[in-house]
Amino acid sequence: MSERIVVLEISGLEALHLAGIVGQFRDLLADSRTGDDPAVSRLMPDAYPDDQAASREFRRLTGGDLIERRSQDAATVLQTLGADGGEPTPEGDPDATIAVALGENEALAWMRTLSAVRLVLATRLGIQTDDDHRPDDPRFGVYDWIGYRLDGLMAALDRP
Amino acid sequence: MAGLASPDIDADADQELDLSARPPSSWQTVVWNDPVNLMSYVTHVFRTYFGFDAPTAHRLMLAVHHDGHAVVARGPREVMEAHTQAMHDFGLWATVRKDPS
Repeated sequence: MSERIVVLEISGLEALHLAGIVGQFRDLLADSRTGDDPAVSRLMPDAYPDDQAASREFRRLTGGDLIERRSQDAATVLQTLGADGGEPTPEGDPDATIAVALGENEALAWMRTLSAVRLVLATRLGIQTDDDHRPDDPRFGVYDWIGYRLDGLMAALDRP
Repeated sequence: MAGLASPDIDADADQELDLSARPPSSWQTVVWNDPVNLMSYVTHVFRTYFGFDAPTAHRLMLAVHHDGHAVVARGPREVMEAHTQAMHDFGLWATVRKDPS
């Protein structure tokens, strides 16, 4: 493990929810071979928007590796959370704070995974513009919460 | 792989190199705006991946946000494709294009 560069403090309940979501993300990646899920498509956009053939070739050459790296990132997040990504099973005090220490590689895995989970949620929620936000929809609460955690991680990593 | 050409020093002695000339085939990596990726995240990715200083990374992020896109790298096609792949790893909406200028 690389040297610790940041420590995240989250509640046990948050850690459980996060592990559940990242576990679902990992499962989505594992099922992605069919290639018809718009959320997975968003993770590998057309590299050549005006050239379908070149975009297909780029995706053929890079798509498999991208999914593999994303799966490894998700596994790293689950590992640092002390979870295996299965169904959440509360153990201990859900209100207790857990300190998650991350090295450089773990922090990269966390930021890439949190942003990817937001992209998947945004696709499911139909977010297409900055104004697509419905505070009364609880699914936006999850989306905002992941964004809050990602923003906090960025602030911690950017601290001089 | 091509071998080294032997320089013909006598013939080229008086010829000046135009250092400002563009390479014959110049390509770009372009990052496009999306409503999902956080400004702090995009700035961080630009700074850490490309090695931009903080003001440059921030300026490019704002260009993406306000202008809809920004050119983040220029150079050979293979290198621009590698940058694009790296941006996709970070979830950014990146594309490759031939330098239009």
